Amino acid sequence: MATETGTDVHSTADLDEQLGAEKSTRERVLLWVDERLKWLMTLPAVFLLFALTFYPLLRAIQMSTQQFLPGGRTTYVGIENYVNLLDNGAFLESLVVTGKFIGLAVGLEFALGFGIALVLNKKIKMRGLWQTLILIPMILSPTVIGLIWRLMYTPDGLLDFMAAPFIGRNVGWISDPDVALYAVVATDVWQWTPLVVLVIFAGLQSVPDDIQEAAIMDGAPRWRRFVDIVFPYLKSLIVLVLIIRVVDALRVFAKVYILTRGGPSNATNVISMEMYRTAFRFSNFGQASAMAISLLVVVLILAMSFVKIADIEF
Amino acid sequence: MATEQQPDVPFREPSRIERLQETLAEKGISKAVIYGVLGFFLLWTLFPVYWLVSGALKSRQTLLSFPPAWIPAEFQVSNFAQLFVQRPEFYQYIFNSIVITVVTTIIATTIGAAAAYGFVTFDFPYNLDFHLPFYILSTRFMPPIVTIIPLFVIFRNLQLVNTLYGLICVYVMFNIPFAVWMMKGFFEEVPASLVESAMLDGHTHIGAFFKIVLPLVKPGLLASAIFTTIITWNELLFAIILTQDVAAMTLPVGLSSFVTKYSVQWINVSVAGTIALIPVLLFAFVARQELVRGFSMGAVGK
Repeated sequence: MATETGTDVHSTADLDEQLGAEKSTRERVLLWVDERLKWLMTLPAVFLLFALTFYPLLRAIQMSTQQFLPGGRTTYVGIENYVNLLDNGAFLESLVVTGKFIGLAVGLEFALGFGIALVLNKKIKMRGLWQTLILIPMILSPTVIGLIWRLMYTPDGLLDFMAAPFIGRNVGWISDPDVALYAVVATDVWQWTPLVVLVIFAGLQSVPDDIQEAAIMDGAPRWRRFVDIVFPYLKSLIVLVLIIRVVDALRVFAKVYILTRGGPSNATNVISMEMYRTAFRFSNFGQASAMAISLLVVVLILAMSFVKIADIEF
Repeated sequence: MATEQQPDVPFREPSRIERLQETLAEKGISKAVIYGVLGFFLLWTLFPVYWLVSGALKSRQTLLSFPPAWIPAEFQVSNFAQLFVQRPEFYQYIFNSIVITVVTTIIATTIGAAAAYGFVTFDFPYNLDFHLPFYILSTRFMPPIVTIIPLFVIFRNLQLVNTLYGLICVYVMFNIPFAVWMMKGFFEEVPASLVESAMLDGHTHIGAFFKIVLPLVKPGLLASAIFTTIITWNELLFAIILTQDVAAMTLPVGLSSFVTKYSVQWINVSVAGTIALIPVLLFAFVARQELVRGFSMGAVGK
């Protein structure tokens, strides 16, 4: 391409030449790019994602049917890894812990966030400023967040001081198996309640005023206007924010890793922690892959319902 | 209020109590409640961050004193120097994090934006312009732990474990779905007629893309770049699995190494944590508008 010059006589005496528009190398390259633009633009992303997610996924399925022996050898074991999952106590326990974590964290985040957004749904001053400030937890590293909370949870630390008048000192925030999961939940609620506030607040602000005014004129009481006008407007946003939070809560790792490493006595051993241990501490890649594929099926169902319920178009 | 007389529906005057409720709700009393809730919420959101940063400036005794010291008595800036004396590898962690984050951001944003524009603009056979973006989007929901197990085995064979290349590959993959999704919304807002008229004027399509479309979606590019930067800078799981020593370890891995079963060096943790959150806070300040939009709409779809 680059060797061709615009002065090549043999190139068909084309229209451009008659019009006096000689094509430079640069223009030829641009034309070549233009003709293939569709694929040049989209294929890199598609190729990369296939190489780095689709292929590993196939490998994960394959690995889930293998047993990894010392020395890097593998043997085919069929569905044995999946069958073993059913009486793998730690795995089943981690499912329960994850379920509790998601239910508590997302439930609290939604309830608190929705409530706060409703209260704030007015013309308030310095809206940009507070919106920026509540972004801060969302953009912090879960590692740093884990460390911040671990500092506050230290024995005789800040939270022990605050709790002392009510429930006594030395609560053992992250060392007491009965409390630790709630401590992790609190950390997640701290980080993600602002997201619910932001999204719901944006939704509330986008409800058109004239419909509201018309309803006020018709004498519709406050709660009625909320149920019949505001709520339908927010429905898809609510579903969206819930599913995003559920899917993200399902893969919580860094916070747990920093705060408790899954302990004490597995009280905070969420599913990604259990997989991490199985694969990288005990080198049981087959079993861990079977867990991963099972988890993926759950996520797939969730994601599909997300797209369906929220009626997302792409 | 009601201007039209409707004969068959008896006009219902809002009762005095209802009107009173309206006025109260619109004005005075609720103001206090609104700002009270907002103030409390801001305090609860910001205090933990303050606690970390102020901890970085306290002496060891004040940091762990009971009752807690709300404000550092004397500012121990020397804590920062101490960290690098005691843990010189922190220079390397910061360097690795910066290289990985910058390279990832450039590649992921470029590839993601190009793909988003391609899917928005062109028609593909077999309905691929629907299926491919859908596939890309669906990987956003894939829990990282699912891909990391096979990727670790693949990377080990390719000798990519414990290299910056390996981490960059993974992070690019991780961020592309996000960039595509976000940029798609921005490209859709650009009227197709702009590109068409530019091409009638003799521009090539790619030329029109650079000269006309890209300047219009600059806020979107900035937003995706900043989201990618933040996500990459913060990531722990991939980094912990795909790195083995200082050669490729990132800042979050370095931070996590402070926490052992037996003791935590709280001063160093506070200092290093503060260092880790400085760039993120800086970005948040620079791009606050885009971030709010990204989190409240873009990140969630439209």
